[in-house]
Amino acid sequence: MTAVSPHKKEPYERMSEPMATLSAFAAMVKKEFIIQLRYPVEFVASFAQIFLIVVVLTLAGLMFAPDGVQSESSSDVTGLVVYGFVLFIYLSDTLWSVGFNVRREQKQGTLEQLYLSPASKFAALASRVALTLLWTGLLSIGAAVLMSSMLGELPFHNGPLALYILLMTLSGTFGTGFAFAALTLRIKEAANTAVNLLQFGFMVFCAPFFPFAALPEPMLWIAKAIPLSYGVDAFRSTLMGYPNGFPELAPIGVELGIVTLFGVAMPLLGFWLYRKAENQARRRGSLSEY
Amino acid sequence: MTTIQYTPPTFRHKLSAMLAETRLRLINISRYPGQLVMEFIIPIVFAAMPMLLGQATAGDQAAANFAANTGTANYVAYLLIGANVFTIVSGAFWHIAYWVRFEQETGTLEAVYITPTSSPVLIAGVCLYSAIRSTGTAVIAFLIGCLIFRVNPFQGDIILALLFLFVGLIPLYGIAFIFGAVVLKIKESQSVLNLMQWLVSFLMGIFFPVTVLPPFVRFIAQLFPPTWMVNGVRSALLGVGFFLETWYLDMAVLWAFLLFAPLFGIWVFTRTEGNLRGNQGIGQF
Repeated sequence: MTAVSPHKKEPYERMSEPMATLSAFAAMVKKEFIIQLRYPVEFVASFAQIFLIVVVLTLAGLMFAPDGVQSESSSDVTGLVVYGFVLFIYLSDTLWSVGFNVRREQKQGTLEQLYLSPASKFAALASRVALTLLWTGLLSIGAAVLMSSMLGELPFHNGPLALYILLMTLSGTFGTGFAFAALTLRIKEAANTAVNLLQFGFMVFCAPFFPFAALPEPMLWIAKAIPLSYGVDAFRSTLMGYPNGFPELAPIGVELGIVTLFGVAMPLLGFWLYRKAENQARRRGSLSEY
Repeated sequence: MTTIQYTPPTFRHKLSAMLAETRLRLINISRYPGQLVMEFIIPIVFAAMPMLLGQATAGDQAAANFAANTGTANYVAYLLIGANVFTIVSGAFWHIAYWVRFEQETGTLEAVYITPTSSPVLIAGVCLYSAIRSTGTAVIAFLIGCLIFRVNPFQGDIILALLFLFVGLIPLYGIAFIFGAVVLKIKESQSVLNLMQWLVSFLMGIFFPVTVLPPFVRFIAQLFPPTWMVNGVRSALLGVGFFLETWYLDMAVLWAFLLFAPLFGIWVFTRTEGNLRGNQGIGQF
């Protein structure tokens, strides 16, 4: 019989904590990427779908122009719709990729294994965001080029500040995705309905496809209570060079403050909510339930 | 000793199986009231996007510009009709296409296939369920949308509009069978269905008349029954103009689709299903 020595040397070299998290993160990104590559039809279809949405919405907008499809919109209108659309794609993809991937792991029966491993839980969530950043970025650029070719010249001012607002808004959006993942663990199959509800709520109250001025007064108050609305408003107003009436919700200084706070606090809040929901699910034994 | 003799199912048996499938689906969806509520909200929100953009960009000229481009100043009803017919069309695709996957995921597919009832009978039950669910929610969403945006929902020839809607449903489900066959073949097909949904919305002119499309694309669009269905409903309610000038000629085209599309769809579906059963099996997922 072999006795196990309490001081036996480990057969592998232990990585330092940051390196271990980074390594787990890289492995998870690779895994997500490999899964995506296994579905080339889905890959191409999701790209083509964005272009069709753009064409449909653009043609719908042109029905209100004096010369219909022959019209060339003003650059402010183009900027308003295109930049709003970019943020819409990011939010939509984040909700699905972060929140819904947790559900996918549940369905595939691999969520429990993930939790049994010592891998960082934050890396598990963030790995889903990494591909979204890359893929949605490409989609946004493509959609922006297509829309501007159909609607007219795209205004582009204050690039670095707009990039800062975009990053902060995306950070907040990812935090929203983490919070949604927490909700997914609790509500399970109803997450499908919830993600639709959130998406449509964003479409109405955060006004990505129209100016906030188009919202009736009570709805405008709801819009003002959502931090993401300030992200949409600040991002497109900055890129459009603050034309008359923009930003619509608050002075740009105030909007920048709100967006920064949203970008810093929301990921922390979202992750905290996720860990809380995860611990509850582990206690109840419902992690693999579906 | 008693011998059991197999007797092929009669029409009454088939009808009973079909209605049982419809009932099963209706009971199932009644367990998800949140999903049903979303189905009322989605088309309204969807139609509101171009509406709010148009109002904000064109201001007081919104109705006049819209009338010049589409034939009616009532853009609220025009866009709501488009969004609601779109939900009916995409509902048909999803419900039929996902029939097999639904049975696979719930673990009842094998049990279904060993009954003496054929799959087209059961799919007919799913079609009936889908038509009840989609048409019901679309009509209610249209009424709610009209109330929210303060337009009269009861204008134009309502009977004719409903006739276009109901006649159009049959060829629509015929086409949905073809998509069902595609799903059987490629299995995990969510993105493809999403794409088809948007392609269909583009071709049927969800928010614009198909006359604005280039001639070749317009020709393709007019080979597609929902294009005639949505234009028929809009022309009956808002007077935007039938493709062939009079309602009965447009209706005749829809009837031609009605005779051809279901038979072709069922043929494609059963053939695909037969091939799969003879090769790798239908239960694989």
